[in-house]
Amino acid sequence: MMVDGVTDIFRRVLETGEVGTESDFFALGGDSLLATRVLSAIARKYGVELSFDDFVLASTPGTLARRIASATP
Amino acid sequence: MTSMLKTDLVDELTEVAEKHPGRLAIVHNGQTLSYSQLSSLAQAVAQRLGPLPGMVGTYATHSPGTVVALFGIWAAGGAYCPIDPAFPEERQRAMLAAAGCNKVLASQEGLALPPGIEAIQLAEIQADPEAGRVMWAAPNSPAYCLFTSGSTGEPKPVITSRRAIGTTVPSLRELFDIVPGDRVLQFASLNWDTCFEEILPTLTAGATLVFHSEAHTGSFPRFLRMLAIEQITVVNLPTAFWHELVHFLTDEQAELPPMVRLVIIGGEAVNPTRLADWAKLPTASIRLLNTYGCTETTLITHAIDLPGPIFPVPIGSPLPHVMQLISEESELLIGGPSLADGYLGRPDATAARFVTVHSGRFFRTGDRVSVGPGGVLLHDGRIDHQVKIRGIRVDPAEVEAQIAAHPGVSEVAVTGYTVADHTALVAYVVPRPHAPAKLDIDIIDFLRIRVPAHLIPSRIRIVTELVYTTSGKVDRRGLKEAHP
Repeated sequence: MMVDGVTDIFRRVLETGEVGTESDFFALGGDSLLATRVLSAIARKYGVELSFDDFVLASTPGTLARRIASATP
Repeated sequence: MTSMLKTDLVDELTEVAEKHPGRLAIVHNGQTLSYSQLSSLAQAVAQRLGPLPGMVGTYATHSPGTVVALFGIWAAGGAYCPIDPAFPEERQRAMLAAAGCNKVLASQEGLALPPGIEAIQLAEIQADPEAGRVMWAAPNSPAYCLFTSGSTGEPKPVITSRRAIGTTVPSLRELFDIVPGDRVLQFASLNWDTCFEEILPTLTAGATLVFHSEAHTGSFPRFLRMLAIEQITVVNLPTAFWHELVHFLTDEQAELPPMVRLVIIGGEAVNPTRLADWAKLPTASIRLLNTYGCTETTLITHAIDLPGPIFPVPIGSPLPHVMQLISEESELLIGGPSLADGYLGRPDATAARFVTVHSGRFFRTGDRVSVGPGGVLLHDGRIDHQVKIRGIRVDPAEVEAQIAAHPGVSEVAVTGYTVADHTALVAYVVPRPHAPAKLDIDIIDFLRIRVPAHLIPSRIRIVTELVYTTSGKVDRRGLKEAHP
């Protein structure tokens, strides 16, 4: 499941286990720079180069997974 | 050390425009502005403003128009006072009032300006190459007004003179070794002083300043592609961004494009682990320059090349125009011609930070330093509680003052905490009786319409009481330990 993969990325970047499908990255203490690590991991794992603006509009694992799915060719 | 201002920065730009009118001054997403176009547009802005317009508010969008506005204001003898269009309206109005702006330059319609302020649309200003050249400034008049974090909760305006910026820029041009063939990325926001490190050494050397929308997407693959396509030779990055870049280059075995010859970093302490990673990259031979400076001492005052791993990472030695002293309490004091005039309308705050030592004027940086091998300075933290949030100096007392204004708050303490080696703010709040149930969310909403994003805590912890030291002061470390 893509959403599990994205949740894993959040956990690794934020160094916390407390991440669920609906957890907001910024509410967990993430900032724009840590977001670049998430975007890099997504580019590597799914081959999709999202921008920070995309991420702000979809900052939970659930919404972000849907955003990746819609961008995947 | 030179304290005489030989020429003004506007004169230097004009000189390049007269010698090399067709050379590219600015490139923006492929569109170009030559030196003669830039110079005559700036002259048209100056003519429109009229002589000595005082503080000119500028809605500083990330575009060449803002650079035109900057030089236009300077040619008219005014001071550049950037207003971030992304800031809440209330904050924008407080900034305009604190700086005493009568005029603003804007690139958008429909601004909610307080009465008595004239809005001038940049788009309506046309260059007239036949018009005569104006230059109305005096060397000691203010060049710009920027805001630093103040403990009262109100923005604190720092006034920097043309002399201060005029003596700093030649020092930086030499430090960066900028030559006409250079293409320098405009990365910093035009609302903070770091942008002058990019704009001014570049445009007074006849080099090219490059704006690109792909610089700020948050995607490193896109960032690196943009550097290659635009043939960027010099980048000036916040240290925290560079840390992430090194992460990416290491993880992906990616490389900086071969045209990049200089990477300048600054804004916070260099992580020695990232520096060791950088030294292992195939592009480790690219010159890496660590820099240090405060708004009140004008751009960079200390710098050092980092050719390899080193621990701890020094902030460097003073530049030729800078004088330094280290107090008995190990605080770094900076003197010389690059000092700001002080805080506008705040004689007490100015007297507290700008002090006289041995009949010289010095700025108390609040940074604790020691002298390392070879005389270079090492940064040992702050003497106060200030923290750096995304490279911007934040006084927790300012955030505390803002939160304390919320009717549901009885007591509050703010401090920095670290998430995955990034500093963020946490607020510990003691609610009043009958405070709203979701006070934490309420406070964030309250702050969003009043202060810029870097002053909004990432975490609000509702607590029953604060923790105090034996001397009765709020114990920030104790709070963190009590509420991990």
